[in-house]
Amino acid sequence: MHRAHRLGGPCAIHVYANDARLAAQALQAADAELLRIEACYSRYRADSIISRINASAGDGRGVVVDDETAALLDYADAAYRESEGRFDITSGVLRRAWDFREARVPSAEALAALLPLVGWSRVAWRRPRLSLPQVGMQLDFGGFGKEYAVDRIAALLRAQGIVSGLVDLAGDLCILGPHPDGRPWQVGLQHPRQRGAIATLSMAAGAVASSGDYERGFVLDGRRYCHILDPRTGWPVQGLAGVSVVADQCLIAGTAATSAMLMGAEAGPQWLVGLGLPHLCITADLQTRTAPAGLFHPVSAAP
Amino acid sequence: MASRKPSLQALTAAALALPGLASAQTDYQADYLYSQYREGELPAARAASGERSDRYEIDTHMIRVAGERDEQSLTATVLYETMSGASPWWVQPGTDGRPVQVMSGASIREERVDLDATVTTPVRGAEVGASLGYSHENDYEAVNGGIEAEFTPETGQQTYSLGLGYSYDRIKPTVGASSTDVIDEADRDSLTLYGGSTWVLNTRTLIQGALSFSLQDGYLSDPYKRAFLTEVASTVRDSRPENRRQWSVSTRFRHFVPAVGGAVHVDYRFFRDDWRIEAHTLALAWHQVVGDDLRISPSLRWYSQSQAYFYAPFYSSLRADGLASSDYRLSPYGALSFRLDVRKIIDAWILGGGLEWYEASGDYAIGSVKVENPGLVDYLNVTVRLGYRF
Repeated sequence: MHRAHRLGGPCAIHVYANDARLAAQALQAADAELLRIEACYSRYRADSIISRINASAGDGRGVVVDDETAALLDYADAAYRESEGRFDITSGVLRRAWDFREARVPSAEALAALLPLVGWSRVAWRRPRLSLPQVGMQLDFGGFGKEYAVDRIAALLRAQGIVSGLVDLAGDLCILGPHPDGRPWQVGLQHPRQRGAIATLSMAAGAVASSGDYERGFVLDGRRYCHILDPRTGWPVQGLAGVSVVADQCLIAGTAATSAMLMGAEAGPQWLVGLGLPHLCITADLQTRTAPAGLFHPVSAAP
Repeated sequence: MASRKPSLQALTAAALALPGLASAQTDYQADYLYSQYREGELPAARAASGERSDRYEIDTHMIRVAGERDEQSLTATVLYETMSGASPWWVQPGTDGRPVQVMSGASIREERVDLDATVTTPVRGAEVGASLGYSHENDYEAVNGGIEAEFTPETGQQTYSLGLGYSYDRIKPTVGASSTDVIDEADRDSLTLYGGSTWVLNTRTLIQGALSFSLQDGYLSDPYKRAFLTEVASTVRDSRPENRRQWSVSTRFRHFVPAVGGAVHVDYRFFRDDWRIEAHTLALAWHQVVGDDLRISPSLRWYSQSQAYFYAPFYSSLRADGLASSDYRLSPYGALSFRLDVRKIIDAWILGGGLEWYEASGDYAIGSVKVENPGLVDYLNVTVRLGYRF
């Protein structure tokens, strides 16, 4: 068993291996991969690829990116299209107006000034060259970097012959395979308003990711302002308190969960049904909507 | 409100283009299925011999292996069946003028082997499947093939499917079991075309609709059945038209009820053909999930059909067109069946079983059936299934 903390959240990797040395090697490789992804895509690191791209905003020549970044940009493009513009990696700039620590609602003018800087459709992406047409525009891989890391680490551990275990980065996780005795993993899904799980599910394979209004945000005058911002309006999403999605890849589960949050209580679950992905949606009044039947087991509320 | 159906395939394709993530996802499942089909005995009152008679029984063993890798799948099925018992031969008037059944005395044991393979693969956004099958009995041989496509347009909420199937059947009736005036060898072609659509109404409800047309050409009679002519007190061979066109419309409704963790299924099908048979099928089923891994599904099915235009329990003399058949499957009747299926998942194992009780009767048909065919069947079918995923 191995535990570590990375990417701004609790991270846990559990692997079973016959050989203790093999397990240790696999975990070292996983650690190294996490650090590599953080170094490449963190917007907090001046030497990251993301910082290099963002520094080039307004320069028509743009930046030539490596194959991995190009594939991530292609993925972000597919997610933008399939979510009808909800999942947008240019929306991070809105955080200049939203200060979640200070619990301050920005003025309409402040938001209006930022909205012209948001919009993946404005970005010129011709593989391998990307250019942000306007000074001030920026990309942020925070919306899917963690999920990508989960998939990468899972693939890496599988390549090392690990067939039993799971990779869990702050609740977004990928199952490598069931416990050695064949039992599935029991995965708990965070309750949006209290400690503990709102539901559990048994998983022997696949990935699950969650998105919710409880991760960061504040409540002011009875209204909840969360960190998931609608790229079209600049305002925090409303309607859903949390969404969990099951998919083969954690990346897809995470993108789908975030997109559904952005679509709201009616269109979000419908869109997930259209994708054909199992999901649990929790509305603002804590009603749950799940599909398919019997996959998610509700946890009875604490007394 | 999403204005078009999102595509998981688009996301998956983009995700798998990422370095390292394209490690093939493989999934295999093997299933063994045993089915025991037992027809109820023919009561003495409906038998020409005045004695009750055992009827047909079929034992089926089936092994199916299915594999899925990335977006492609392969399913292969081997089926082995043994059939034995007496079956309806012809119908004649009894002492009171009401029809009674003459059974074939034969109780030979027949065997059937059936091989089937289906592959599916994505082609330009559609899921395309192709299948090939071969079936062999000592008096019968068939090859069949089909192609099916399912696609979801970028701008729609529906899924569409379209399929084409073809089968070539050749029959060489067993000498002795059939009669001397029956063909030595015959064949037929069947072509089926179908199309359907699925609408997801909301997260809990979906509706499917489908249309099907099929065309059969060749020998469609039953070489092991005869028809009785009262004027000459003798039988002639079963003789049906050499082609048949069939149409059907079917609808399916699925609704999940979260409060009880179960789903209701309602299916209806209307069928008609140019032999002038019209049939209705209505099926109601409830699928209840209990705990993690147990599913219990009771279902009820009702069926009613009108008769083929040339059918009669028996004839006074041969029809002008020469057609004759007293097969109960072409007679007016209705049927009720009740099924109970249970499925339990234990780790990688899937255990299942089912019980079906079926009864055909003139009483279950729409309208009144003046003369019920005495050969109408009732049966009990028990199935056991064992599956393993790896």
